[in-house]
Amino acid sequence: MDEPTSTFTLLGLTFNWTTIISTLLAMSIVVLVAVLMTRKVGIRPSRGQNAIEYVLDFVRGILGDQLPANLARQFGLYSFTLFLFLIVANEMGLLLQVKMGNGVTYVKSPTADPLFAFTLAIMSLMLAHGTGVKTLGLGGYLKNMFFEPYVAMFPLNVVEQFTNFLTLALRLFGNIFAGELMLNLLASMAWGTHLNGFWIILAFPLEIAWQGFSLLIGGIQAYVFVMLTAVFTAQLSGNE
Amino acid sequence: MVPTLSMTKAMPLGDMVFIIVAFLTLMVILKHVAFGPLTKALDARADKINNDLDSAKKANEDAAKLAAQREQELADGKDQASQVISAAKKSAKDQSEALLKTANDQALSLRKAAENDADQLKTEALASAKKDVADLSVTIASKLIQKNLSADDQRSLIDAYLADLDQQ
Repeated sequence: MDEPTSTFTLLGLTFNWTTIISTLLAMSIVVLVAVLMTRKVGIRPSRGQNAIEYVLDFVRGILGDQLPANLARQFGLYSFTLFLFLIVANEMGLLLQVKMGNGVTYVKSPTADPLFAFTLAIMSLMLAHGTGVKTLGLGGYLKNMFFEPYVAMFPLNVVEQFTNFLTLALRLFGNIFAGELMLNLLASMAWGTHLNGFWIILAFPLEIAWQGFSLLIGGIQAYVFVMLTAVFTAQLSGNE
Repeated sequence: MVPTLSMTKAMPLGDMVFIIVAFLTLMVILKHVAFGPLTKALDARADKINNDLDSAKKANEDAAKLAAQREQELADGKDQASQVISAAKKSAKDQSEALLKTANDQALSLRKAAENDADQLKTEALASAKKDVADLSVTIASKLIQKNLSADDQRSLIDAYLADLDQQ
């Protein structure tokens, strides 16, 4: 938790190198994969196109379950990007974490940073609220958000808006962060102070098992984040 | 609370800006690289499948129509064929009947003519026989009258007469 961070300040804003490097790396991987898979796009799909089409279909399926057709189409690109980005960001830290001599981890899963998760959650919720205003008008949006199904629900509805935000962000952050924390703990266990060989032999299969489990978690969390975005959008635009 | 743990230092607002800008950039890139082309390809495929299904349906309908038409034509053909056959049978029957009738008629007339001829020959033969008998009687009578006859005479007479007959 109290790991040292490397920051710099630009135009009065503080930037964290870890976040910047990890985000850029995740972005680059997504772009690279997308470019490689869509080199030849045609009516008859190539293997790469087939795979990425499956992802697109999957995301469209999530949206289609929650949203009416026109909103699902509007959210297609956003959710597609979100899903690809999150799945890469979630899994990235399982494979690669770079810790420099000064104790700063420069490369890890960007989603293991709470700020990253909160930022994505804010972005998703802003989109969801914006869609609500656009669909229902300001009055209808407020009424739908606070006074449905009946006025007495107002306090609960207010609380719900905050919990929506917190659960969206913390679920993502918590899962990925915990996964990486466990990986790091297992890794440090392998290099225990005494009985070196024994700890490595013990830690290695555990590390493998935990990586496999985290792989699953990372995929699920990407899916859940995209789905919750769609669910909140549906709720806020009165399409429950 | 968890978030505060890593936010104890200066709130890294710059990170938030960076993350959002990075995400939006990624969206734009993906739109051009993957989402746009893929959506287009998916739509094109959906269109193509729809068109293919439509044209297949149409082809099916056409085929069914054609099959019905052929069947109708076949039935018509069968009808026509049976009509032709029955007409041919009828005309053959008529013709054979006519032929038989003329043959019968001819045979009848031939027989009649033959009968007539036979009758005529018979009457002619009778007439000539009558004439011969008459002639013979006259001849015998004249011979009888020419001689008053003894027995020898009679004999010679008869002989002469018989000789006459032989000569005839």
